[in-house]
Amino acid sequence: MQIAVLSGATTKFGELWEQSPRSLAQEVVSQAIEQAGIEKKETQALFVGNMLAGILGGQENIGAFFADELGLEVPAVRIEGACASGGLAVHQAVLSLLTGKYQTVLILGIEKMTDYKPEEVAQALMAAGSDEERKAGLTFPGLYALMAQAHMEKYGTTEEEMAAVAVKNHFHACLNEKAQFKKEITIDDVLKSAKVADPLKLLDCSPISDGATAIILSSKFKVQSSRDKPVFIAASAVATDTLALADREDLISLKATKKAARKAYQMAGLGPEDIDLAEVHDCFTIAEIMAMEDLGFFEKGKAGQAILKGETKIGGKGPIINSSGGLKAGGHPVGATGVKQIVEVFNQLSGQAGKRQVKGAKIGLAHNVAGSGALAVVHILSNL
Amino acid sequence: MVGIIGYGAYIPKYRIKLEEIAKVWGKNPQEVISSLGVAEKSVAGIDEDAVTMAVEAGQTALRMGGVSPSKIGSILVGSETHPYAVNPSSTIIGETLACGNNYLACDLEFACKAATTGIWLTTGLIESQKIDYGLVIGSDCAQAKPHDVLEYTAGSAATAFILGNKKNEVMAEILDFATFSSDTPDFWRRDGIRYPAHAGRFTGKPGYFAHVIGAAKKLFQKSGTEPSDFDYCVFHMPNGKFPKRVAKILGFSFSQLESSLIVEKIGNPYSASSLLGLCQVLDQAQPEAKIFFVSYGSGAGADGFIFQTTKNLMKKRRLAKKVAEFIKNKSYLSYAQYLKIRRKI
Amino acid sequence: MISPVKIWRHQKKVNQLLGKTGKIVSFTLIRVAPVEFKQQVPYPVVVVRIEDGRGVVGQLVDWEKKNLKLGQKVKTVYRKIREPESEGIIPYGIKFKPC
Repeated sequence: MQIAVLSGATTKFGELWEQSPRSLAQEVVSQAIEQAGIEKKETQALFVGNMLAGILGGQENIGAFFADELGLEVPAVRIEGACASGGLAVHQAVLSLLTGKYQTVLILGIEKMTDYKPEEVAQALMAAGSDEERKAGLTFPGLYALMAQAHMEKYGTTEEEMAAVAVKNHFHACLNEKAQFKKEITIDDVLKSAKVADPLKLLDCSPISDGATAIILSSKFKVQSSRDKPVFIAASAVATDTLALADREDLISLKATKKAARKAYQMAGLGPEDIDLAEVHDCFTIAEIMAMEDLGFFEKGKAGQAILKGETKIGGKGPIINSSGGLKAGGHPVGATGVKQIVEVFNQLSGQAGKRQVKGAKIGLAHNVAGSGALAVVHILSNL
Repeated sequence: MVGIIGYGAYIPKYRIKLEEIAKVWGKNPQEVISSLGVAEKSVAGIDEDAVTMAVEAGQTALRMGGVSPSKIGSILVGSETHPYAVNPSSTIIGETLACGNNYLACDLEFACKAATTGIWLTTGLIESQKIDYGLVIGSDCAQAKPHDVLEYTAGSAATAFILGNKKNEVMAEILDFATFSSDTPDFWRRDGIRYPAHAGRFTGKPGYFAHVIGAAKKLFQKSGTEPSDFDYCVFHMPNGKFPKRVAKILGFSFSQLESSLIVEKIGNPYSASSLLGLCQVLDQAQPEAKIFFVSYGSGAGADGFIFQTTKNLMKKRRLAKKVAEFIKNKSYLSYAQYLKIRRKI
Repeated sequence: MISPVKIWRHQKKVNQLLGKTGKIVSFTLIRVAPVEFKQQVPYPVVVVRIEDGRGVVGQLVDWEKKNLKLGQKVKTVYRKIREPESEGIIPYGIKFKPC
């Protein structure tokens, strides 16, 4: 069975004061349905990726909520996996197609975060961590700062190398009309920004954002025209590691990423050298450095230098990382991110990435992480 | 013969100098320091309270005493700053120190003499063979209203004592006891009110002196002793002046008092004050040393004890950090940091 | 309000971490804190490898800048986790202090 991405649509990510979760969903789902060239009633199930609707908005029963809002009387379920909610929703959708029970399904990743004060949001996000981490007064920047400190100590990774991740992603975001920050920054800007949790500074951190992304997957598809290149899901893999950072084998890599990547490569019959571009989970700059290593693109400890050299920037040696601007510059509406990553890869592989197009892209990877690495989802897409 | 088989002290790391406080309120620092006889006081960290400090001191006392916590038959905790008005500090501490479930627990309050009263009560329990070992703790995270004279001296510390009656364990025997109580409203704190209030100079002669001298005289009489019989004397230290004056009035020399003085560097940690002085003496005393001890609690009352050290003191006290080490291990705060840390801002 | 039942259930976990020593495996200094910890900012949080091999995370207290380094020896101490709500139960727990 081949699973094709029929369409992918995303809203702008950012502070969307006038948009409610309902309006975000409507915008993005109607676009996805139109682009797929199908009737709304052809979608047989709805998978919603979302983390904070309950904690912040007091709204649970999210599957039903959006099925109702979208006028879909179909089985609907909300999948939660902290920041990997979107990727997990895609994974569950893929599994549902593999059972043969459904042929065409809709995935909606959605998050509304700016209705609340930043400290309320920061506290809510720590629901992804462990009880001990919350009691220690940790924040998400704090968790990744602990990993950064260890990575810097072991491999000599520098604050400049981490800053270069943000600089590159902002550069990419300037080419993406849906990105939250369409403004270039310099390494100096990052280094001068206020410290949040040493050594991470404000510009090392992804923002609080609103946004929604929808994709339609199908196991029965028709190539729309000779010009369109169908894009297939070549692999969908999930792996878990310990919830708490202190329980991990080491602080310098995410075992969950390594395991999920290994499974995905195996499923697709590919290796890291085959990947042309990847959307990785850069919730913090150090996370992109670790992902580059854990996904097998670069040797452990060598990713920092590769970024400084521009190898992963559009036009660089490759693989091109976070052409969308990533989480850092693209924005990170938690539940939507994992789905948006798939849309970016889909656009690249179907030649629709406009100014960001990575020429000749054939195989792309999406990497979505929950919390400080308790779970990771890796998808591989291909247009071959 | 009931006595102390282990003791522990804890003084938080932070200090504020009196001159720092005086400057903020436009007072002459030298005048304040010399009139109170105190140079700096200890300040508990933002996450410390009477219970957390008591746990530290209690751990030390257990280690020195060499007693399994499950053998503790009673835990009495004296404080003016119990974290709860209703909910015993003694069971929070007992649970944390793994004392099991078979101990009598009670929180005591009598201003600065709550814990010393606990010592005498525990002595009774042991002597009457109701229990084998008892833990007594004096711990305070003293609070004072900004710009009140008490602000200069209200300090924080904790002391813990394990009492028992096995001859090979006792390091300081309790030879005698006398107490003096009256209704004297010199210093008080109403329920629900954050800071204590006091009656100014009335806390002196009719307060501290009347009761300390009253208990001391009773103790001399009961035991048939006089000042020259003692190697050390320890008195409650609300400031640097009172203990020196009362020692003189009672006929003690400064050299007998000197070893117990902690107030100049720590201030007045209320229920831990006189007991911290006792710990400092025990850190230095030789075997067979006789100690004359009187605490004071506003409201008012005084507890007098005669202790005599044994040779068991020498080896056992090496298991713990000395009071002098705690006093030396310090880090100064500015007035603003002090207010922040004590949550006054 | 912090659940008193959860605090009660966690007592054993807290007690068996008392009196332990270990070494800092990583550290950070939190400058932007969750609401309940705001008063304590800035404060270090450390991951410690305890003598029995376990990894434990917690705040570092009574610290100086020179203590924020990998390999620093620390011991566990009993402290208030944070200030409780005005009517709530006080959460006590384990933090670390440089040896």
